[in-house]
Amino acid sequence: MSREKIAAYAGAVASIVEVEGQAERTADELFRVARAFESNDQLRTTLSDATIPSDRRQQVVEQLLGGRANATTVHVVGFLVATGNVRDLPAIVDSVVQRLARGRDQHVAEVRSAIALTSEQEQRLAAALSKATGKTVDLKVVVDPSVLGGLVATVGDEVIDGTVRSRLDQLKTLI
Amino acid sequence: MRWITLLASEDPTVTHHWLLPETPEIIYGGLASLIVVSALVKFAGPSIKKGFVGRTERIQKEIDDAASAKSRAEDDARGIRSALGDVASERARMLQEADRQAEALLAEGRARIAAEVADLEAKAEADIAAARGRSADELRSQIAVLASRATPIVVEASLTDAARKDLVESFISGVGAAR
Repeated sequence: MSREKIAAYAGAVASIVEVEGQAERTADELFRVARAFESNDQLRTTLSDATIPSDRRQQVVEQLLGGRANATTVHVVGFLVATGNVRDLPAIVDSVVQRLARGRDQHVAEVRSAIALTSEQEQRLAAALSKATGKTVDLKVVVDPSVLGGLVATVGDEVIDGTVRSRLDQLKTLI
Repeated sequence: MRWITLLASEDPTVTHHWLLPETPEIIYGGLASLIVVSALVKFAGPSIKKGFVGRTERIQKEIDDAASAKSRAEDDARGIRSALGDVASERARMLQEADRQAEALLAEGRARIAAEVADLEAKAEADIAAARGRSADELRSQIAVLASRATPIVVEASLTDAARKDLVESFISGVGAAR
């Protein structure tokens, strides 16, 4: 999908999310779905498989997200599956999240952690990142066991990497 | 004819001595001998003398030839002796030359062998050093591979929830203290 097309879909989805309310929560859910889609090969293959009828794939989406995500999130993901654009789900969702954050005069801070963070930790982390970058950040936390420990935060072009994985990679390079 | 008759008329049985002839016979015989000798001297003497002279000359020539041959033989002998001396000196010279060449070859061979041995030793030392370096590199590489494989496993195994929470807190504190 072209960048223009992604931007067009992202604009449309962002508008729907904002109109439907609970934009921040929906953005968080879409962000998590996008990260799960990226990291889970089986999910990506299943939702992208054109040989599986679109209705069946939408049912899979509803079974996975139903009850755990709000209706807007389910509908947006189902819409992208139905239109055959689910492969671009991460790019569209990232663009949506950034649009929504910019609408609140914020910058998306994608944080990867080996363990789930508490709300209190997220608040302190958001405050720390805002202080460090000089930007008001919209924190999006992804639980990623591959980082082993610590956190890596990406705010725009800035990357603050404090993960055990990166230390091990540095050590491997030194060895 | 008369002489013959006279001789024939003589009686052979009458002699004066059992050994010596009669005086006339001596006289006649002596004259005849003188005549014969004179004739021989007159007619055969020159040729005999010439023959003797020729023989003398021939003998002298043979003597001279023999002397010449002897001289030549002596010259040849001297030449041979000289040649033998030359041969001996040449033999000695050749032996000396052979000894010198053998010594030179030996020295050259020793030097070449010494150089080859030194070269081989240098190559062997270089090979040993290279092999040692390769072994050390391989060992380091294997250690690095094993360490790079083992480290994440060990680290992950040692990362408890408490340690992970500490790391998160450490990150938040560190980022917050950055500015």
